[in-house]
Amino acid sequence: MAGSAQVSQASSPPNILGERLHEAGYIADEGLVTTLWLADALQRPLLVEGDAGVGKTSLATALARAGGRRLIRLQCHEGLELAQAAYEWNYGRQLLAIRLHEATPGQVKEADLFSREYLLERPLLQAISSPQPCVLLIDEIDRADEAFEAFLLEVLSDYQITVPELGTLTARQVPQVVLTSNGTRELSDALRRRCLYHWLDYPGLAHEINIVRKTLPEAESALVEQAVAFVQRLRGEDLGKVPGVAETLDWVRALHRLGQVKLPDDSAAGTALLQHTLSCLLKTRDDRFQVTPERVRQLIEGRRSVGVAEKSGA
Amino acid sequence: MPELRSAPAANPARAVQPLQAIAGFAALLREHGLHVGVAEQQAMVQAALALPLARHRQLQAAWRAINCHGVADWRRWPDLFARYWAPGTLQGHTKLSGQTRPSRDLRQVVQALQDQLSADGGGSPRGTTGDQAPDTALDGPAPVSDTPGAPHTRGGASATDPLHDRALAQWLPQDLSRLQQLADRIAQQLRQRLTRRWAAASQGRRLDLRRTLRNSLATGGVPAHPAWRRPRQERPRLFILVDVSRSMELHAQLFLRIARAFVVASVGSAGARVFVFHTRLAEVTPLLQRDSSTVQEKINAVTAGFGGGTRIATSVQDFVQVHARAQLRRGARVWLLSDGFDADPPGALAAALAAVRARGAAITWFHPTSSAPASAAALAAQPQVQRFVRLCSLRDLADAAPLLR
Repeated sequence: MAGSAQVSQASSPPNILGERLHEAGYIADEGLVTTLWLADALQRPLLVEGDAGVGKTSLATALARAGGRRLIRLQCHEGLELAQAAYEWNYGRQLLAIRLHEATPGQVKEADLFSREYLLERPLLQAISSPQPCVLLIDEIDRADEAFEAFLLEVLSDYQITVPELGTLTARQVPQVVLTSNGTRELSDALRRRCLYHWLDYPGLAHEINIVRKTLPEAESALVEQAVAFVQRLRGEDLGKVPGVAETLDWVRALHRLGQVKLPDDSAAGTALLQHTLSCLLKTRDDRFQVTPERVRQLIEGRRSVGVAEKSGA
Repeated sequence: MPELRSAPAANPARAVQPLQAIAGFAALLREHGLHVGVAEQQAMVQAALALPLARHRQLQAAWRAINCHGVADWRRWPDLFARYWAPGTLQGHTKLSGQTRPSRDLRQVVQALQDQLSADGGGSPRGTTGDQAPDTALDGPAPVSDTPGAPHTRGGASATDPLHDRALAQWLPQDLSRLQQLADRIAQQLRQRLTRRWAAASQGRRLDLRRTLRNSLATGGVPAHPAWRRPRQERPRLFILVDVSRSMELHAQLFLRIARAFVVASVGSAGARVFVFHTRLAEVTPLLQRDSSTVQEKINAVTAGFGGGTRIATSVQDFVQVHARAQLRRGARVWLLSDGFDADPPGALAAALAAVRARGAAITWFHPTSSAPASAAALAAQPQVQRFVRLCSLRDLADAAPLLR
């Protein structure tokens, strides 16, 4: 498996990849950049796991943008079949060809009907047959069935797809594969061992502020800092659905649209505004119930720790 | 004596042996349960060769991506890495004495590897990795482990201790995994109920005519893709009612653990719902679904306002009329985990359980005492209960498993 994957010489060093990702709007830490670079260098797929909303899918889109590559996306779901994922014969066109041939005296051969032009390419085959290198995103692999996972093994280890009527189609350019998983189902060991692994965690305070600033450059600096600090503290609460980066972005965007330059204050109007916009962050009824206005105020007040000097001065 | 002298001279003779060091690291990882095979080891060497020397610090991240195959591995990685490559930086760990380990420097290892590569004439990296790495891996040198394969990290405990037999005051991780397996098994064997509806299934036995015709549109009316259906089966709903009154204080912990195992086991299939009661009833399923160390605290918080004593009958009535009103149907299973001491009038419990039975649900009563509860309420309710099962250790649950269908 790894023996066949030679280190490709063309890959750029990790630091350049990091800069390109940054330009593409994705701020990755050093470990992630190294992993991405290694996945490219070893030509191995990368399995990214993490909670919902930490930026697994956007990692793949940013990777495609950074490398100037095309992004091919396969969204997995229960009951996903080969016909939707890899290829399908264009039956309509085949029938049409038969009818046309019936009109003309020449005989139609079976090989004519099962050629590439009658093959409908679905995401996996598109990625394999793409003449330019591309990024293949297999999103939420844990939602697909185990049978489909087994089928993926051939694609991921040898970058080839076997079509019984045609033979084996091997990749012209090895695509960079990113798989994401939310962990709703345990993936098989076979799949895990074919992939490099990265666990995406919630970003730290400074990291998340950077991300929000990069994505929403128009939002006020004070608002961004306070809002991110609040979300970071909120994640410490025992919530059913922990807000991810996407939720933070939504919330800051909402507050910015409402014309806020910083987090609303303790006044009645401010509290009401905060409660109304919190629906960007808290997505279940239990969580809304748990995070009461008092708790929100406590969390906000935590944003400003009063130093000893200030206390004694007062 | 000459042997003793030559041995240390050969090994750390200032000549760093990079492949050995990496193989040793792989052995350490393997010892700690990571799946590190020859392929991973080769990939580690390749990564070390591919990274510029100045960036050797990033090798940790690269190797992490190669060797970790799950979250658990991912979380343990920094510790394992430091243990092997920088044992001096670790604090609060037991240090073994009397064992001399060769000093390892990641930078030196990378340097040596890359030197070796250039000395080989700058050929393909496979020249080194393909031929040598597997050899070292197969030799199993494992320089860290003093005696390979010896169970020296178990701290004197043997793995075959009959732990499941003791009363459940202390829990070890293996107990929990046994419990989870047991719960999975029981949840699986709850008898499925056939319904009159049909569900789409590729292996089904009845042709789904409507969908087949719809599919045939793509093939110009030729039904090339028949669709099939099979009878839909439903797993029964499982309701677990746990008594958390004062008299059950000792056993509630065990019962809640068992209840949690069923909540986790039945995600997507049976969908167990768990309620706790003493004077009132409260649902705790969402609390149990999350794997949090503070479950017990939360349950305490939920039940904090409850008064003393136990009112089983009132709680069961509340369960039937409010909480499970829409779901308590034919085939549902209600498990009552209680010692049977009830402050309500003795006849009330029988009436409440009769209401459960009237919905078509089967009631199983688990009791922590050695014999079935003999309180007046429990005796009066006896005809309504399908089965009394003793439950005060994991073994009891295992013994009862064949009966729980």
